[in-house]
Amino acid sequence: MSTAVDDDVWSAIGDPTRRRMVDLLLAEGGGTATSLSEQLPVTRQAIAKHLGVLDRVGLVHASSEGRERVYRVDDAQLARAVAQLASVGSAWDARLRRIKSIAETIERGRKG
Amino acid sequence: MEHGSIEREIHVEASPEVVFDVITSPDHIREWWHGAETDLVPDPGRTCEIVWGDRGSPDSHVARLTVVEAVAPRLFSFRWDYAEGDVPSAGNSLLVTFELTPSGTGTRLTLVETGFRERGWEVAKLEEVYADHNGGWDACMSGLGSHLATLATTP
Repeated sequence: MSTAVDDDVWSAIGDPTRRRMVDLLLAEGGGTATSLSEQLPVTRQAIAKHLGVLDRVGLVHASSEGRERVYRVDDAQLARAVAQLASVGSAWDARLRRIKSIAETIERGRKG
Repeated sequence: MEHGSIEREIHVEASPEVVFDVITSPDHIREWWHGAETDLVPDPGRTCEIVWGDRGSPDSHVARLTVVEAVAPRLFSFRWDYAEGDVPSAGNSLLVTFELTPSGTGTRLTLVETGFRERGWEVAKLEEVYADHNGGWDACMSGLGSHLATLATTP
């Protein structure tokens, strides 16, 4: 099931808006849904939804400061995401091995 | 340093017809793609969902893909990893292409996934962002180096 988690992280950073958000959070050391929505052509509500996705896979963490939640990038999880991106190739290796195995089993069944 | 695509090749001791069916039929996709449920039909232009876990549960994950080409039993390609509501094209999605070529009594299966660089978030870029942000990245990247070397470079 670890690959399912990988797919989640990959999917989270695969979205262009979320990548921009991570860039901005890194550049500014953190931000709120409001501060991000001021810099992106997306509504605050959409930003909040994207932050939720990033939060769920652990790429950002929120803390309450004043009236709004401030989000910061989780360094360790970002490093892991980088590794995930590199491991997209190895994920395909595993899938191809299973395709091979299934197809060869079917082929043997047809001949036998 | 740019890493624009992933390329893989594998020999399968089964006919292209069998391999094509394994790659494109939902029953087999469930087997090779971590239990994914899908309504995929290999028709060009067809959009479908691939769902891991119980749909609607917090742990579930849904990916959309759109079939680009399907020529049984030699070619199947799709775009995926695009934002909801977007029409997938170069620049907003990844293109996965399976090519099947008869080889001896079996099939040479090649997989190419492209679009990373066009998305502006290729490995080199991520590495750069992270290196800027945190100096402690060198040690991590050296471990990745051997894997990165296997990622093909797009001209």
